[in-house]
Amino acid sequence: MTIFSLSDFGVHIGARQLVSGVSLEIEAGEIVALAGASGSGKSLTAMTAFGLSAGAGKGSARLDGEELIGLPETALARLRAQHVGFVFQQPLTALTPHRSVAQHLGEAAAQAGGKRPGHSAMIAMLEQVGLADPQSKLKQFPHRLSGGERQRVLIACAIAHAPRLLIADEPTSALDASLRREIIDLLTGICREKQMAMLLVSHDLASIERDADRLLLLKDGEVAEKGKAAKIASQPTSKYGKALMAATPRLTEKLTPLPVPTDRLLEIRDLSVRFRKPGWRSGYIDAVKNASLDLARGETLAVVGGSGSGKSTLGRAVAGLGPVTSGEISWQDERLPSRGKRSRKHRQLMQPVFQDPVASLNPRWSVTDIILEPAQILASPDAPPGQRKSLVTELLREVDLPPEFASRRAAQLSGGQAQRVAIARALSCQPEMLLLDEATSALDPLVADGVSKLFRKLQEERGLALLFITHDLALARRCAHRIAVMEAGEIVECATREKLFGSPSSDAAKRLIAASG
Amino acid sequence: MTRLILRRLMTAIPTLLAIIMLSFILMRIAPGGPFDGERPLAPETRAALESAYGLDKSLPEQLLQYLANILTGDFGPSLVYRDFTVTELVAQSLPISLLLGGLALVLATLIGISAGLFAAWRAGKWQDEAIMLGATILTALPTFVTGPLLALIFGLWFGWLPVSGQGEGLRWLILPVVALSLPIAGAIAKLARAGLAGQLGLDHIRAARGRGIAPLTILRRHALRPALIPVASYLGPAAAGLLTGAVVIETVFGLPGLGRYFVQGALNRDYPLVLAVVTLYASLIILFNLFADLIYGWLDPRMRGEQ
Repeated sequence: MTIFSLSDFGVHIGARQLVSGVSLEIEAGEIVALAGASGSGKSLTAMTAFGLSAGAGKGSARLDGEELIGLPETALARLRAQHVGFVFQQPLTALTPHRSVAQHLGEAAAQAGGKRPGHSAMIAMLEQVGLADPQSKLKQFPHRLSGGERQRVLIACAIAHAPRLLIADEPTSALDASLRREIIDLLTGICREKQMAMLLVSHDLASIERDADRLLLLKDGEVAEKGKAAKIASQPTSKYGKALMAATPRLTEKLTPLPVPTDRLLEIRDLSVRFRKPGWRSGYIDAVKNASLDLARGETLAVVGGSGSGKSTLGRAVAGLGPVTSGEISWQDERLPSRGKRSRKHRQLMQPVFQDPVASLNPRWSVTDIILEPAQILASPDAPPGQRKSLVTELLREVDLPPEFASRRAAQLSGGQAQRVAIARALSCQPEMLLLDEATSALDPLVADGVSKLFRKLQEERGLALLFITHDLALARRCAHRIAVMEAGEIVECATREKLFGSPSSDAAKRLIAASG
Repeated sequence: MTRLILRRLMTAIPTLLAIIMLSFILMRIAPGGPFDGERPLAPETRAALESAYGLDKSLPEQLLQYLANILTGDFGPSLVYRDFTVTELVAQSLPISLLLGGLALVLATLIGISAGLFAAWRAGKWQDEAIMLGATILTALPTFVTGPLLALIFGLWFGWLPVSGQGEGLRWLILPVVALSLPIAGAIAKLARAGLAGQLGLDHIRAARGRGIAPLTILRRHALRPALIPVASYLGPAAAGLLTGAVVIETVFGLPGLGRYFVQGALNRDYPLVLAVVTLYASLIILFNLFADLIYGWLDPRMRGEQ
């Protein structure tokens, strides 16, 4: 039977029509996914009918046959309390910081009017979502739990009152890659077992066929394609669907050839970074332990691993942005000094590009100023103004942006444009190597694909060496010559992509590959 | 938590010492002295007085002597109210100030938080705007306006409440406590309202709404505690100020609290009296900031630090 349906459903905020003409039906025990770029309206579509977004709905949205559009907030709140469970994207912030796990569970279980569950009932609820040591977790505050544990608690809360419908808004996108598989399997398993209907807002196109029965691809608030998830994932028919699926790296795709690396530029020997434990606790954290790597001109080396594995710390140490405790970093057989002692010449060799493009550009600066800053400090402090202007135009062309972007402010750029400006900035002092710290992770699939193609092009043209830090194994496989796998601060395996994905030798690599499949 | 308290008390000692020394020196640098009356004293009398109070010694000697005395709990004699020691003066007036300030603090917190909560519940409606306007007015009005105004209305026109001094029972406290609490209540209401507004956009509130919890319950249960952090920061120093005497209110309502000793002591260059009041005030500030830190931990467990 149909639990939830939308027909000709639309969302507007004020006079702006953001979603229109969405129709879907979800049966008991069925999972329907909404996917699309950010801003495509997928979260709005999922949340608006229940009064949990800033938008207003029109058309029809029915829960168990009852029309939701036009219901007053009190009636909607009653329906949510009784029949719907929500799992949000950010497990970090979706739990109230001053309320314990037990208080959350108690409130959630009683929301439909039932009694507050007893101690043993709550432990059973936590066991059901696979939380280890539920006894001690009950008393904990949310900030004491890890991201995965928090998401499990949120799932336990969402299903505590036995809802008919589960709305999951990108439930795994804030989690570590190796946890995503576990959490999404948990959610879908619960949904099938308890015959709940689930509306899954997903960004994870690579595994959507496994997660959902049916799929709606949204583009600019309209349905671009809908049908069986497995069919759309393998043979999309719409232009948008084809582009989206092609842009999403998969472990199963055919390898395309990469530019050929030449002479060795960077060599790292036994690099270690340790931090003091925070607060008044004594002892150290070994963020990076005895890491050894090398990188050639024209080569891409991906560093992969879960969060906290030390990959960003390693990258920062190499680029002279973070501390080094011991070990050697050399550039063309010349040893690089520690970060405080690196000269302009050293800094000019390698430039970073960070994950969040919008946060890494000063919003008040113009694109010209942003791009020229490294050039003026590191490469050519005395260049005449005319030459500077042509440098900006040239760099903008190189990152595929039109010249009129030179006068824009950073705040006026979209995420993809901002990342291209950040790349142009990194290139402006003519570096020989780029440090890419999750440089495409915050971007939509299509935009991210454009940016990683740009890296490939720049590598071919300039012979750049790329140190590419990422959590996305499929992306690493698509664009890196060699891949180093990090776990708990150690490089446990470093091999060519063919070797690593063909016959991984370390357990960590095997686990990561299994979790990404 | 015990660790935090111990750590704070340890750092309190050098802080207090620095404050005492600085005030000691500043008082002495200020022109004039305790024996400069309208009639100049005969030089012999002045010399005799100064030697009796030890003011003829060198400044470092006096400072050391003073610190040594404080350690034994002796804050010295008042140089102006010559029949009293400073400890006696403070012991007389402090209870009144503590009672007045403590009650005002409780009242201001109750009124302020309830008003802020109510305004946030009615966000954007006329009740919200009326409360915020009222809070702004209360914060802006100085107590030397509200005090006499309240006394005029409730004391003289209606004749309900006494307007000056300490009478029988506790009725005499009502007007000064209310007058003292109003601006603080206004500030707390604004801080609480702003804090709640900052919470409302957060994910955990949306998650609670997803559970269908009633709006007022969401505010109370999920938003209020973290929203009160700015209130706690404000209350620490505000409490110390209230408890050590509200000069204006004490003067308006003719109450013999600590505040007037602060002012008169400073004007008369009554060195020991001023130093004693400053030490008391500084200790209270340190103490209340410690309370504020403990309250932060209760308001938001993430601020409890590593245990």
